[in-house]
Amino acid sequence: MSFREKSAWITLFSVLVCFGAYFTELFGGLASNPHHFGGLGSVHLLLLATVALVALQVSLSLIAAWTTPKDGRGPADERERQIQWRSHALGYHVLMVLALFLFVPAFFGHRGVEMANFALLGVVIAALTVAVAQIVMFRRGA
Amino acid sequence: MSLPIANHIRRLRFEAGEMTQSQLAEAIGMTRQTVAAIEAGKYSPSLQAAFRIAHVFGAEIGEVFQWVD
Repeated sequence: MSFREKSAWITLFSVLVCFGAYFTELFGGLASNPHHFGGLGSVHLLLLATVALVALQVSLSLIAAWTTPKDGRGPADERERQIQWRSHALGYHVLMVLALFLFVPAFFGHRGVEMANFALLGVVIAALTVAVAQIVMFRRGA
Repeated sequence: MSLPIANHIRRLRFEAGEMTQSQLAEAIGMTRQTVAAIEAGKYSPSLQAAFRIAHVFGAEIGEVFQWVD
């Protein structure tokens, strides 16, 4: 497995773990207290999730670099660049669609930090789409 | 999905003294995974990469890649 494919797996895993926990906590809080979701209290959770994401990605990337043979660590070749372009194009379209759907929570009266969290959810879903698309294309060969 | 381009890279590697995919990859500036994908017919290389592969084997591009209907 090339370093870039491992990186896609690392992104998928770390984003799922860190922002999965973040949104689970956020939506769990919403169930028990409707005011919990929109408050600035979620900012410390966001900071924690972001720091955990960076730490997880850096440490796993270092391990991936150590365990990848030299022929899988070189500069990206044309196939790998093509996979990156195609996956990011797909992620861009997902992000655009989700951005349009931001009108839905706004229609139901959500404002401020709540809307920021919905936008963040869109970014996270787009990032996961990019990672999954890369993994699928690497596994299929192109 | 199989591509309509066949290749003889496996045979040419064998005839070149059992050249490994890694050696070919290094010679053309690609990863071993990409060479494996080209050889398996899962990825069509660019024209430039196809010429580089042919050049490594000292062959014409048509001897390495063929269009199959």
